Amino acid sequence: MTVTITIDDRPYEVPAGATLVDAAKMHAITIPVFCYHPKMNPAGMCRMCLVELGSIAKNRDTGQPELDDNGQPVIRWFPKLQTACTQIVSDGLVVRTQTARVAEARRDILEFILTSHPLDCPICDKGGECPLQNLTMAYGPGESRFSYGDKMHLDKHVPLGELIFLDRERCIQCARCTRFCDEVVGDDVLAFHERGRSLQIVTISDPPFDTKFSGNTTDICPVGALTTADFRFGARPWELDEVPSICPHCPVGCNISASTRLDREAGGKKIIKRVMPRQNEQVNEIWICDKGRFGHHHSRAADRLQRPVIRRGDEFIEVDWQEAYKQIASRLKQADGDVGFLAGPNLSNEDLWELRKLAGLTGKSPRLGIWPATMTGGDVIAQVGVGVGTRLQDMGPESAILVIASDLDEEAPIWWLQVKQAADRGAVVIVANGRQTKLDRYASAVIQYAYGQAVEVLNSFAARARSRRKVARPLVESRVDGYDDLHEALKGTRVPHADAADALLGAENLVILAGGEGLALEDHAELMQAAANLLIITGHVGRANNGLVAVWPGANTQGALDLGFSPEVTADLLANPPAVWVIAGADPVAEDARAAETIAGAEFVVTSTQFLTATALQADVILPRQSFAEREGMFTNGMRRVQRFYAAQGPVGEALPDWTIYAQVGARLKGDKPRLSAGAVMRDITQHVARYAGMSYSRLAQVEPQFPNVGGSDLYYGGTAYANHGGLGVQWATDAEDESARLIVRPVELPDRPAAGDLIAVPVRLLYDRGVLFGPSTLMHRRVPAPYAGLNSQDAAPLGIADGDQITVSIGEHRFELTARVNGRAPVGTVLLPRQLGEFPVPAAPTVCVVHKIEE
Amino acid sequence: MLTDKYADRIEKIFAKYPDKRSGIMDLLYLAQEEYGWLSEDALREVAGLCGVDPTQAHSIAGFYTMYSEKPKGKYWLQVCTDLPCALRGADTFFTGLCEYLGLGEDGGTTQDGLFTVERVMCLAACDKAPVMQCNFFYHEHLDLDKAIALIKKLRVDAVQEAAPDPSELDDPAGGTE
Repeated sequence: MTVTITIDDRPYEVPAGATLVDAAKMHAITIPVFCYHPKMNPAGMCRMCLVELGSIAKNRDTGQPELDDNGQPVIRWFPKLQTACTQIVSDGLVVRTQTARVAEARRDILEFILTSHPLDCPICDKGGECPLQNLTMAYGPGESRFSYGDKMHLDKHVPLGELIFLDRERCIQCARCTRFCDEVVGDDVLAFHERGRSLQIVTISDPPFDTKFSGNTTDICPVGALTTADFRFGARPWELDEVPSICPHCPVGCNISASTRLDREAGGKKIIKRVMPRQNEQVNEIWICDKGRFGHHHSRAADRLQRPVIRRGDEFIEVDWQEAYKQIASRLKQADGDVGFLAGPNLSNEDLWELRKLAGLTGKSPRLGIWPATMTGGDVIAQVGVGVGTRLQDMGPESAILVIASDLDEEAPIWWLQVKQAADRGAVVIVANGRQTKLDRYASAVIQYAYGQAVEVLNSFAARARSRRKVARPLVESRVDGYDDLHEALKGTRVPHADAADALLGAENLVILAGGEGLALEDHAELMQAAANLLIITGHVGRANNGLVAVWPGANTQGALDLGFSPEVTADLLANPPAVWVIAGADPVAEDARAAETIAGAEFVVTSTQFLTATALQADVILPRQSFAEREGMFTNGMRRVQRFYAAQGPVGEALPDWTIYAQVGARLKGDKPRLSAGAVMRDITQHVARYAGMSYSRLAQVEPQFPNVGGSDLYYGGTAYANHGGLGVQWATDAEDESARLIVRPVELPDRPAAGDLIAVPVRLLYDRGVLFGPSTLMHRRVPAPYAGLNSQDAAPLGIADGDQITVSIGEHRFELTARVNGRAPVGTVLLPRQLGEFPVPAAPTVCVVHKIEE
Repeated sequence: MLTDKYADRIEKIFAKYPDKRSGIMDLLYLAQEEYGWLSEDALREVAGLCGVDPTQAHSIAGFYTMYSEKPKGKYWLQVCTDLPCALRGADTFFTGLCEYLGLGEDGGTTQDGLFTVERVMCLAACDKAPVMQCNFFYHEHLDLDKAIALIKKLRVDAVQEAAPDPSELDDPAGGTE
């Protein structure tokens, strides 16, 4: 719905409900702001957006506009200027933004803001992309009437925790940062203290500024008051090249800008100076989490592997690439097809494709495994993944979101943020997990099941749909196979959470985000099918804002599934190990005890890696792979959006992208020429993989205008990194979106309940871990916990274990020494074991364990 | 801990509001009453009771002048020195009071920890100036003599209440008599 308003004597159609600032901006009319931000509620604090406001006078009896002597409508003007940011547009609104009064008001507000603002732009990180600079240039007084010597001086280096610094002098008290924490994120860890000139931003949370999104406050700060410890005084914005990239840390696939320059500290080489969000309203909008922002240091870590290394006896010897290729090719030939391939969590699609091509040359039925192999269901996603154009950020009162078996806050922070905001807008959010998670506080219903029983929740919802006639008959009858069996199997299923089920089934849209927590691989397959069953029979498939999202363990797990890799093969590789392993961008030896044993027994191991990992130390040939920063490629995110990233920095040593490495090896096996450009690999993919058929590098790079328009040449939302010049990506369509495709449902099998009385170790994912790519970001180390195990007080008490005690957790023959956390987070009978916190392999699936206290 | 000592009062405070976070101001007063001021520990305690981050308690305590995040004397003397009061001599009164208590021109706390003197903004009693709040009780139409008499009385009260070692009474800290 639109309304008609008049701005500066011209009529405009604008969306009803928009603020006047946004409405004007949609028509390229600038009403300057400081405190207002289109992603947050208006506050009306800074008064920069003052305009003359009036409305067409109407006769109260007839409802007709009153006319003056010339037959023109009479305008009733507010006697004083009004804030455009707090004004919601309505029919007949008349606005003047260019009058002398408005210009004077803007000049006065700027003069007022600048009374105590230091003029240290030449050393300020924001200088060059600063809304205050921009707006002062455009609307401010040329000179100040105040004496520079009279400026109030305040602390300039106030740490808000170890990540963000506050410069008190520069703060103009717009409250964007505090409102972001409070409204957007819901972490009320930043606030104003005192009043007037004494006002300052404070935090006393533990740890300080305790939110995973703190870096975003530095982006939206309209001055240089908030800066990151990572970048402050690091470079000037105009020296930086913004290279479009994709965050390699989680399946959200946040669009980022790698701000790079030739840097003296790096010997004149081009390096990433900071990572900033790049606007993609389809994915991460304008936010990124702190892991994405500060987790880029692995790309230029000092201990990056520089040259290929081969093992001769107990020695590692550096060799040139040709020698390495020759060795690998000859071993692969000898292996006679007995080769296993493992693809790590952030190989690009090009890497995966060349690895697959190489595998195809080694044998008739190549074994292509995914690492880590904790989740599965690529086939289910291909059927009922979320519809093209799904935006959690559009979902509201008409929608329901079910988050199951995932701690979204730790596994995919930006999705967590978007689900939280959907809940704020009135969406039904149901959280089901074996333990409490941070999303619970925003949920309409929280279902805590015994680990292993996740499937029961989905089955009970499906049963409720069946008994309450919520089954989408036309869809089921026209194109669903297996419904009769499912219908029969659901008969008599208990529905313990009927209210939650009804809330969910009453919604027009339904998205399920499914993780893998507490589930063995085969049980996860059942969970995915159970989710598909529910979505299909209720008709929540094949359209935007409906369908299934898997919270994959890696940034490109989806791509690996798309290109023919599978976690089941990984399980098979561990059960029936091959003689030769090719392990690309993964460290299974460090992460999994069973993998460590199996790989130790292999005849020959090749690995491509950024660092000398535990797996590399077991390998016979160690190949230096390039990080995401040094090469181009594409990742497919958890919502199946294929997105390009570009080479941001120069090469490290002789490291090469994985696709080049495996293409070269393949060429030696086959005796022909390798593909020499990523673009050529992409063409090959589009010719052989149906889902990717319509894509090309140039299509992935296409950009459409986005609203709100932040960054770029924009004066008041500032920032040189937001502008998206790298592409919005392309989301591939699922079977459900193809009217002719059949959809499959089937009854799912419930896994056996673990024997009562045993303690079950449940591996969980943490955002801040000691993983290969995050460890080198030393800035974040204080946020990474020491290795611990979460215990319930009921289990801990009989063992004499209290919070903070040192304990051993024994799983099979393995014994880990950890700190006990008895803080109410772990449910009875479980031991929560975070993955990748230390130099010990946590089991991939829930496992019986024995816990002892270490006596001092 | 407030919960041990004031369980009933805390319950009554929470009963007044639809959610716990709304009880934060009452609880901050309670904490200040108990501890004399709002230390960071006190802020954390109150925030914990209300289920908000301690930062929010800190922010509220900082916004309102009737909360104190610094230790105060047993008697908290607040003198309005805004223009209307100053025209009736509040400014000189304030200086005199500080001088009598041996404090600097901006007030502060006496060494014995009995008195804290502060300038404050309008106390809404311009017509009765000079006016001073003593632990939030108003003393109006003051002059220095009246104030000194009050201070002497308070000293005696404090002695009787605390019954300290008599030797400490010989030299009332900071006094200029």
